[in-house]
Amino acid sequence: MTGLGPELRIFLRQRLAGPTLALLALLSAISVGAGILEIRRQTETIARIQPLQAAEEAAVAAWVSRDGDAGNAAYYTFHATWDRPSALAFAALGQRDVAPYVLRVRALALESQIHEGENYNAELALPGRFDWAFVLTFLAPLILIVLMHDLVSGEREAGRLQALQAAGARLGLWAHRAGLRLGLVFLAVAAPFAVGAGMSGAKAAEVLALLTAAGLYLAFWTLVCLGVGALGRSSVANGAVLAATWVVLTLVLPALAHIVINSANPVRQGVELTLAQREAVHAGWDKPKDATLTAFFRVHPEWRNTPPVTSGFHWKWYYAFQHLGDLSVADPVLAYRRGLESRDAWTARTGLVLPAVGVQTTLHRMAGTDLAAQLAYQDRIRAFHERLRRFYYPYIFNETPFREGDFAKAPRWAEGG
Amino acid sequence: MPDLTAAEPAIDVRDLCVDRGGSPILKDLRLSVNAGEVYALLGGNGAGKSTTLAVLMGLLRPASGSVRVMGLDPATQADAVRRRIAYLPETVALYETLSAYENIAYFLGLSGARPSREEMDAALDAAGLQAGARTRRTGGFSKGMRQKVAIAMALLREVPVLLLDEPTTGLDPVATADFNRLVGGLRARGAAILMVTHDLLGAADCADRIGVLAGGGIVEEAPAREGLDVLALHRRFGEAAAG
Repeated sequence: MTGLGPELRIFLRQRLAGPTLALLALLSAISVGAGILEIRRQTETIARIQPLQAAEEAAVAAWVSRDGDAGNAAYYTFHATWDRPSALAFAALGQRDVAPYVLRVRALALESQIHEGENYNAELALPGRFDWAFVLTFLAPLILIVLMHDLVSGEREAGRLQALQAAGARLGLWAHRAGLRLGLVFLAVAAPFAVGAGMSGAKAAEVLALLTAAGLYLAFWTLVCLGVGALGRSSVANGAVLAATWVVLTLVLPALAHIVINSANPVRQGVELTLAQREAVHAGWDKPKDATLTAFFRVHPEWRNTPPVTSGFHWKWYYAFQHLGDLSVADPVLAYRRGLESRDAWTARTGLVLPAVGVQTTLHRMAGTDLAAQLAYQDRIRAFHERLRRFYYPYIFNETPFREGDFAKAPRWAEGG
Repeated sequence: MPDLTAAEPAIDVRDLCVDRGGSPILKDLRLSVNAGEVYALLGGNGAGKSTTLAVLMGLLRPASGSVRVMGLDPATQADAVRRRIAYLPETVALYETLSAYENIAYFLGLSGARPSREEMDAALDAAGLQAGARTRRTGGFSKGMRQKVAIAMALLREVPVLLLDEPTTGLDPVATADFNRLVGGLRARGAAILMVTHDLLGAADCADRIGVLAGGGIVEEAPAREGLDVLALHRRFGEAAAG
């Protein structure tokens, strides 16, 4: 067995080896840079919204506190919520480029506020971001194929194979060479990521876990290359078979799986929930106030014995039918969520047999940019909204004046919800 | 070089049969090469010359028969056999991006040897490669120069057996004579050399014995001594190859 130095010398002196690796490292660096810029933009947006929120709240407070109307305070005050990206989000943007990461909510009906942001341009979302996960999932295997398709066949075609075998080359030589190529490809992909992770302040254990997933994925493709090479065909044939394998495993089968999963788990669009809830809320204007309030007091009996609504507009009645609007879509919202979770679960199962799907699912989960993270943010918004309602209800139902000092007591969005 | 003067031949092939794709390539081939002897195995295209070499290197398993290289069975002791063999293909293919020194270090490194620069120079001197060429990348080397590098490797490995596959094909007469001198030098060191070729004249020039392979076996074997009627052998060789 030869040492690393001679093998490295032979490999790197091949005409295309160095430039190919350099290209991969460059693409990896660009994807990391693009991811960091996107996450920085999101972080800056989150930072920028906080002083703006304070300024707007002060303006509303100055205006509302003149007549002390709590209904106006609840109606006109937007409360900022945000989902801060994890330190690894730059590597796998996942849902962060299509789902809202900042949402300003009011104490009105919530579900339409959550889901109206899901009305995005599907054509723009389809190609996805050029992030590090994309480079790892789609481009790195191609580079491995370029570097490994002729591992043995190239030696045979150059007339060296028999001489190598006669000189003592064993299976270990090919494993050594395959390992070298795998290591260099991994280095070209991982080094820019490690730099990006360092800049983002990611924890070493998280970085290591993500790199392990990346290494296993590349090892899978190395085994595919070795398996195809072991069939003893020419380099051209190996290249063609491996390219076809890449197309099938990274494009065709994941796309088919996506279609099958979506067909098997039909999910209404979020914007339909928005529409359904708004129709329910708007219908509240035409219903008798007693019926609305009776229904509301069934879920909030603590406000049953407050001063009655006699005639005309009253905030009690207004916030009651707002909340009933949320309750009216509770079942479809739950079904929507279950549908999304079911799709996600099936996608994860698909990842067990399709490594390209598996590695993407894993990276998004590790980076906190997957569907679960998006739904967790929605759950935190719902919990926050509940606190908002319960903060405003005593003022509204007891008809207590809402003064400037009361704004300071309003719930604030915290990172945890 | 190890002592090769023992009674047992360095290469001993008895009743060797090899099939490829259901067709017999070698049928009851009998062949032996002693230490310090050059055996030229002549044969037409497809006669089974390269197949014989592949069997000797343990790259191909025989259907039947006995094969021994330095007393070892290549079919079951391939690694041990290869450690005792140097193989020169028709076209010595080196790593073209490496220098002669680097190629030698690499190929010898495969069997765990680590020759010093002085040892490599001594071998390359013996093989006749110019000093100025040794640090150059071998991509620009002629066939003869590449053969010299391969011979230097064989010298450094001190192997008792050399297998030469069509070594003089494509060489001009001067380079052929040069190569034959090298083979003579290796023989003088005690190596057993099996050279497969269809260059009868070259074989007569440097071999001790000449065997004609046809129909899967040796149809004629003659000592290549002074007075050998090369023309008559050539005629018989042609008839055997055609028949």
